[in-house]
Amino acid sequence: MNRKVVKQDLDSRIFDALNVSLLFIFTVIIVVPLWNVIISSFSSGRALAEGGFIFWSKEFSLENYRAVFQDQSIWQSFFISVSKTFIGVVTHVFFCAMVGYGLSKRYIRGRKLYVALGVITMFFSGGMIPTYLLIKSLGLLNSFWVYIIPALFSYYDVVILMNFFRNVPDSLEESAKIDGAGDWRVFLKIFIPLSMPAMATIAMFNGVGQWNDFMTTKLYITDQALYPLQMKLYEIIVQSQTQSMQNVGGSAVIETTTKGVQLATIVITTLPIVAMYPVLQRYFISGMMMGAVKE
Amino acid sequence: MSILNNAVGKKGLKLCAGLLASALLVTGCGGGGGSKGADKENWISIEDRYTVDAETPAWQLDKKEEVTDLTWYVNADWWNTDFGKDIVTKKIKEDLNINIKFITGDDTKLNTFFAGGDMPDLLTIFDSNSPVVQKASTWALPLNDLAEKYDPYFNKVAAQDTLNWFQLADGKTYGYPNYSNTQADYDSGNIPAKTAFIIRKDVYEALGKPSMGTQEEFRKVLSQIRTEFPAMIPFGFNSIGEGSGSLGDVFQDFLGVPLENEDGSFYNRNLDEDYLSWVKTLNGAYRDGNISDDSFADDGTAFEEKVKSGKYATMLLDGTPQQGGNLQIFLSANPGKEYIAIDGPQSTAGHEPLLNQSGITGWMISYITQDCKDPAKAMQVFTYLLSEEGQKLMNYGIEGETYKTNADGTVELLPEVKDLQLNNAEKFKKEYRMGEFMFFGHDRHKALSQDAFPEAIKQMQEWGKGKLKPHFILENINPNQGTPEARGLTAINTKWNTTLVSMVRAKDDTAFDSTLADYKSFLEDNSWDKITLIRTDKMKQNKEKLGIE
Repeated sequence: MNRKVVKQDLDSRIFDALNVSLLFIFTVIIVVPLWNVIISSFSSGRALAEGGFIFWSKEFSLENYRAVFQDQSIWQSFFISVSKTFIGVVTHVFFCAMVGYGLSKRYIRGRKLYVALGVITMFFSGGMIPTYLLIKSLGLLNSFWVYIIPALFSYYDVVILMNFFRNVPDSLEESAKIDGAGDWRVFLKIFIPLSMPAMATIAMFNGVGQWNDFMTTKLYITDQALYPLQMKLYEIIVQSQTQSMQNVGGSAVIETTTKGVQLATIVITTLPIVAMYPVLQRYFISGMMMGAVKE
Repeated sequence: MSILNNAVGKKGLKLCAGLLASALLVTGCGGGGGSKGADKENWISIEDRYTVDAETPAWQLDKKEEVTDLTWYVNADWWNTDFGKDIVTKKIKEDLNINIKFITGDDTKLNTFFAGGDMPDLLTIFDSNSPVVQKASTWALPLNDLAEKYDPYFNKVAAQDTLNWFQLADGKTYGYPNYSNTQADYDSGNIPAKTAFIIRKDVYEALGKPSMGTQEEFRKVLSQIRTEFPAMIPFGFNSIGEGSGSLGDVFQDFLGVPLENEDGSFYNRNLDEDYLSWVKTLNGAYRDGNISDDSFADDGTAFEEKVKSGKYATMLLDGTPQQGGNLQIFLSANPGKEYIAIDGPQSTAGHEPLLNQSGITGWMISYITQDCKDPAKAMQVFTYLLSEEGQKLMNYGIEGETYKTNADGTVELLPEVKDLQLNNAEKFKKEYRMGEFMFFGHDRHKALSQDAFPEAIKQMQEWGKGKLKPHFILENINPNQGTPEARGLTAINTKWNTTLVSMVRAKDDTAFDSTLADYKSFLEDNSWDKITLIRTDKMKQNKEKLGIE
């Protein structure tokens, strides 16, 4: 018996050791490139061109960031990005929750038809050109609302929320109604607080999507004042790429390289989203779980 | 339950059919307003503004008081959309009394413009072989008619050869390109070569200025470089990406591979014996360890960074002006070690180099669309920018303010402007923007000044004198897009690029030969015969357009 315990211990110790070392390798694989991106973004153009460093830059420089931030309109873009993400997420979550709440009620008439129609949209979409024509006829071209209104509704999110709401016992709704609560009160005071994990998950997904999206801008916006951060930085990158081509006259002093500007851009755009992650993470995990179980 | 489902299904079907029908109706109506240019509805009258005069550009005659707002779409994300802030565009704005709003984008955006039907006033694209260009008559206004009605002076500043080249089947020309070089430009000797075999001066001198002309010499010198300068990559070439870098047609031009068969039919230059024997030599150099595997994987940025830091000892470089900035950076930091052009690899069959330059097709091509609010003004923009005055403005700014004209007619930037160009590129770009607003820029005007090109590439351009030969007959000869032959050609081109790389990297002669044989049989399987016929036919049309015998 004694031997058995020792053997088990040895087994699990080997398992642990293996586990830890594999996870360590895995972490290193993820962390080293990230770290490299960060320190490279703080390197001078010359050090970057020469290359050959992994953990510490040869020459510290803020030039890459200066190149990105020297364009004053970047703050305007930052404002657009933040507001479109914030307004977009809040309205999206609220709108999807309302629809999901409605569709979760078995007594709704025509519920099956709505669900079926919704499912069709999950498989088919109009395509780029028809969508453009639609947006155009709605008068959304060159309007801030093109970021919000078309992104208001996602059937995927509705399905997740619908399933979540269905898990809430019917009796809860009944007792609330007996106590005199109306549909709005039941929805706002009971269902929404109970489904925070699902809401947070969808907010997270949608927020990352809104933050990173630049196709909407590319297609529907020509007014520079409405450019979000992503589009602005995309412009800065392509312009830095062609700078050497256009400056045919040739300048001897170039502090930044295209790569440096790209790396600085990556850091700038990723930072806010990374900062949001820990805040929402605890909801996120349980939300994923709940969404995964379907009735 | 199933009855219910059925009922819902039928209802759903009806609903869908109804939706579809109304969608068709809506889109059908929307498509109606297509060909407004043809009936000249929007050809505004200029009676109360000016009377045209063939001897005076219309912009000098136009009395229109209010500022004309034009939107100009450029199909490139990198285009600088500022207007009226720097010296060049401020002058354009004042002279023409216009305000241009630039819109940029890529092909996706371009497609949405065409689909949405709200076109900008002016439009610039880059691919002269695209369907957009072929169908220009459906969305653009013909320059011939515009010139006749609004600004006959245009015909004085536009090159007739270029106009002929872009004529569509209806006999009219819709777009005008930049960097379009005509036979006359080639003959004048004013356009500099852009291809060169270059070597670092310090390496060249340390090795005793060896010749690299024959295949044996080439391999030997590369090996010497590797022993004496182990930190360097002995031989480099333009980044390959999806093309062939500078090892394909550029190398062929360098070796003087003929452009056509003697009977004027299409010649497959890729299979030229002389050229293939050099590819084999490159393979030898690769096996000696003198060509880095990185060179095949590097993208444009990585390549440029190597040029900037002088990593390559020798290079077959295409696009010296594009690399001018990088070469200049290396030169400034390492005086005496700069890259210089030498004769490099020579044809084994005794051909002279037939270097290519921008052809008559040029680069960007600009149109006035049928939706243009003021086509008269738009036409004036074309004429203005194409005129001597506009060309000088775009390249050198304003006389007396940024440049002076010397007695021999050449142009020189004023010292403080030159200083800014060399030492504060950002400010120079922002405040002057010379050489950048190049919608109708042409090499012949660049030749006016010593300041147009960086010091680092002047010796290379000098080396290329007399080695240029127009490749006009080979321009735009691919099968029309959408045809089976066009698809075949795309497959063949991709195959050729991988074949070329595989040949250079072949492990032994057998692998080299089998790769080549594989390519040849791939040609046969992808209707190469038909493609050749189409190309021969288009080459004949090209010759007719340009009056070449």
